[in-house]
Amino acid sequence: MILSLIILYVLTLIYLSIADRFRNHTSILAIQGLLIFGIAMARLHEFHTVEMIFIIVETLLFKAIVIPAILMRVIHKTKINRIHSAASQFGALVMSIAALIASCTITYYMADNRTDMIFFGVALYALLTGLILIVMRKRIFAHLVGFLVIENGVFLFSMAIGVELPILINLAIMLDILISILILGMFLRRMDNDIHTDETDALTSIKD
Amino acid sequence: MEMLIYITLSLLLAIVPLFARSERGANIAATLFMLVQIASIALVICFKQIDVVMLSIFRADTLAVVFHILMTAVLGFSLLHSSSYLKAEEVTTRSYKAYYTLLMLLAVAITCVYYSDNVAMTWVFLEATTICSAGIIYHREFQHSLEATWKYIFVCSTGIAMAYLGILLLSTVAEHGTLDYASLKDVIANGNPLYLKVAFLLIVVGYSCKMEIFPLYTVGVDANYAAPAPASAFISTALVNAGFVSIYRIYSLYASAGEVFAWARHTMILIGVLSLAVGAMFLRRTNNYKRFLSYSTVENMGIVAIGMGIGGVALWAAVFHVICHTLVKSSMFYQVGIMRHVYDSYSINRIGNYMSFNRVGAIGMILGTIVLLAFPPSPLFISEIMIFKEIVAEGWWWLLIAMLLLMCVVIYAIWNRTLRMGYNPNQDNLHLSEVNLRLSYSAAILLAAAIVIGMWQPNFLKDAIDIIVNIG
Repeated sequence: MILSLIILYVLTLIYLSIADRFRNHTSILAIQGLLIFGIAMARLHEFHTVEMIFIIVETLLFKAIVIPAILMRVIHKTKINRIHSAASQFGALVMSIAALIASCTITYYMADNRTDMIFFGVALYALLTGLILIVMRKRIFAHLVGFLVIENGVFLFSMAIGVELPILINLAIMLDILISILILGMFLRRMDNDIHTDETDALTSIKD
Repeated sequence: MEMLIYITLSLLLAIVPLFARSERGANIAATLFMLVQIASIALVICFKQIDVVMLSIFRADTLAVVFHILMTAVLGFSLLHSSSYLKAEEVTTRSYKAYYTLLMLLAVAITCVYYSDNVAMTWVFLEATTICSAGIIYHREFQHSLEATWKYIFVCSTGIAMAYLGILLLSTVAEHGTLDYASLKDVIANGNPLYLKVAFLLIVVGYSCKMEIFPLYTVGVDANYAAPAPASAFISTALVNAGFVSIYRIYSLYASAGEVFAWARHTMILIGVLSLAVGAMFLRRTNNYKRFLSYSTVENMGIVAIGMGIGGVALWAAVFHVICHTLVKSSMFYQVGIMRHVYDSYSINRIGNYMSFNRVGAIGMILGTIVLLAFPPSPLFISEIMIFKEIVAEGWWWLLIAMLLLMCVVIYAIWNRTLRMGYNPNQDNLHLSEVNLRLSYSAAILLAAAIVIGMWQPNFLKDAIDIIVNIG
């Protein structure tokens, strides 16, 4: 069960690297939220009400519903949809596969008996995919998507390590991330309104 | 309980300006906020609450108290200068109130970073500082501030997400998920050395956006450039110190990590040298006084990182350097803010002959430059000499030569620019405004305090630093 969800998650990451519409990006992020919810539930060893509520709120509510809704609203308001990439779709696919191979190699050398190798590798792949999106895509919205992919990768990473932080700390971390997304979305819209741009090339006016 | 009362009161007072009818209401709330800060520090010191754990995530240790005192001092001056700055800018009442609220919220978040006794909570509060700073950076609402704000939030959030990854790796050594510094210190030696090294690297790189060191220093420079000058003074000192405290706590933790600590120290030296090099390079290139002072922060924090990397007496010097840098740098940012009011510009090429328009401000800037360049009686002279001595004692000759060469470039760049501001004729017609001499004098108070510390270090300060650097 968990392995099938993990494979689906890897497929969403590959698809994300070649998708050329932001609506697709947003849908993939919502699907990733659902997959993470499934993985987290499947990994629950015992039934803890508080822990379960937290997982539902963090994954199902925030990652699968609230954040994609915020992104959809930004797309709707700014009327951006197509990505502008520095690489072709084929180039992006090659880079994504290279990142997957790099993740597997690093995992092989790094993971010890206390970490789950599969989760570790996929989390690393998610991080690299997020970074590639940020570096290779020109539109600011793609950077936001890259940031969210990194956040999902960090969530998977916490599962790989098997760390169970106190609920208060988890809650604070979750709220911090949500507020950051809200503020980033707000500023993205403001940039579209005030300086009529959604491309990173335009963000070079501050120089020495 | 005390911490809960402090946070609740501070947060309440911070949001009061939003509901105030006038700017006067915001000023009263800010005054009360300052009183709460002073009272909380007095309570901790008078009732010997040092090293007491509060709400199980805070600890009032010496490091936290010293930096809280510094932050309160800088905040007081920032609020004072902000009032004049905002009035001169003729901002709307709404904008005035929002600015005060954000500055106070930022102060609360920074204080929580100082007092946090938990690796994950330090991360949470640092992320909170990003959110509060964003509003302040955007306050002037022009194209550059929008760009700087976006970059600041995005790079800080991504950097801090990386730091979180480091915290997760670090937590593999934790028992039962307890991430307080003392518990982690007890068990860190049992950790996987590779994990510990990667964790240290990720955390330091992530937090570098706050401490304004290599590699993520750029966003701090842009933030200082875009924010109003009194807020830049606060960001460039109190927030930078929050980054320093966060990294210092991790560094102290690693002191028990055996061979990994040696690796961590080498990493700090490398980061320090790169920061110093970046600072030296851009100090010569930039044409804006605020960016100029920000690159000076990068350079100084580079020296601090080198001091941490060398260890021993150099570590003592590094902490002393941060404390004194706070006083000097904030004073210079306030002076630059006053200068901007006179010339309506931060442009290095345009501004000149400041000595004839504002003698007090110009002397403040020149004295500040002398102190910043670590010429006696600067306290930075003492810290830098101590670092050099330790470098020689350790036999790191290449490091000594690299530092001296880079610092020659820094001295030339800074001195050249400051003299140009004081004595060169203006390059074009500027619309000069009247000078508020009281503000120039008030900005000089912090500088005077730094000079006094340079000539005479009080015992309580020396004792406090001794306790802070006792990380064995």
